[in-house]
Amino acid sequence: MSDFLDVATLDAAGQSALKRLILSLADTKRLMGIRYSDWTLGAPTVESGIAASSMTQDEWGHCRLLYAMLKEFGLDPKVVEHERDASEYASVSALDTEFPDWAAVVAGIVLVDGALNTALESFSRGSFEPATTRVPKMLAEEEYHSAMGRAWYRRLADSSDEARGLLRDATESMLPVMLAWLGASDEAAQALVAAGVTDPADSQVAAFRDSVRDLVSMIGVDVDAVVPSDDWDSARGRASGHPDDDAIERARGDRNRALLVD
Amino acid sequence: MLEIVYDVFARKERGDQLAHIGYVDALDDETARVYAWKTYDEQGWFEMCVVKRDAIIPVNRTDGPFARRAKEA
Repeated sequence: MSDFLDVATLDAAGQSALKRLILSLADTKRLMGIRYSDWTLGAPTVESGIAASSMTQDEWGHCRLLYAMLKEFGLDPKVVEHERDASEYASVSALDTEFPDWAAVVAGIVLVDGALNTALESFSRGSFEPATTRVPKMLAEEEYHSAMGRAWYRRLADSSDEARGLLRDATESMLPVMLAWLGASDEAAQALVAAGVTDPADSQVAAFRDSVRDLVSMIGVDVDAVVPSDDWDSARGRASGHPDDDAIERARGDRNRALLVD
Repeated sequence: MLEIVYDVFARKERGDQLAHIGYVDALDDETARVYAWKTYDEQGWFEMCVVKRDAIIPVNRTDGPFARRAKEA
């Protein structure tokens, strides 16, 4: 696209909407990294633990790039990364608490990371130039996350009743939340579509449903029948609530604040 | 859980010899790709590939890690 958006021409509502989107993407990646990091030790195999560790690094690298986009609005990314309260985080609610088991990790890769990729694909095709240059590399790295998640999803779906049950619980918990997040069509979301920053919500939801339909059907879930959650905080672009305090302490680096150097 | 051994081969630069750099245990071809790329990521590899160990046919040895399909002399 040659006609990129001049952020200065956006009205206050448009700028607020774009900041909300960037924060939601960045915060979700930050929390995704923390949830992956919990499984660096304790994953089913050494290799899957190493993959979780590497995916953690990917997510934190990606969120750094996304937070840096806030400079377009005169915001200091360091303040955003290190000084916000948990109640200000815009990460998706599916990551508010740790994954209780490996099946939830797998569902998280497919459904949470997967929905995030759908949103990023839309963002990378839009009119906000920093997204068109920085997001494609993230998506290339995410290809490995997707491959890992889908392979493990198929494996668990085809294994014991216990594994299938855990996978189904996680899937049924995450899907309504992620469909609501991708399908948001409040004033802020509509402003971004009007500015050419993102694709319409309906097309993002359709792309996401297409990407997971066959997988979730393996455990008897019909993605087309899942109703999006109606819990929505339009100020942050996510559901009500916030990530647990321990995760936010880790996200901000509270315990090592004295060692923070520029 | 049944896992499959895959050997990992890579070359750092175009034109380099493809070298054996290690192995991974994986569920299937897809996870083998992911595990290999994520485990042996210390270099900016030009090319990496994985091969099921069972597909390797030894030529002159009847012992060692690749010997499963060795023909006894």
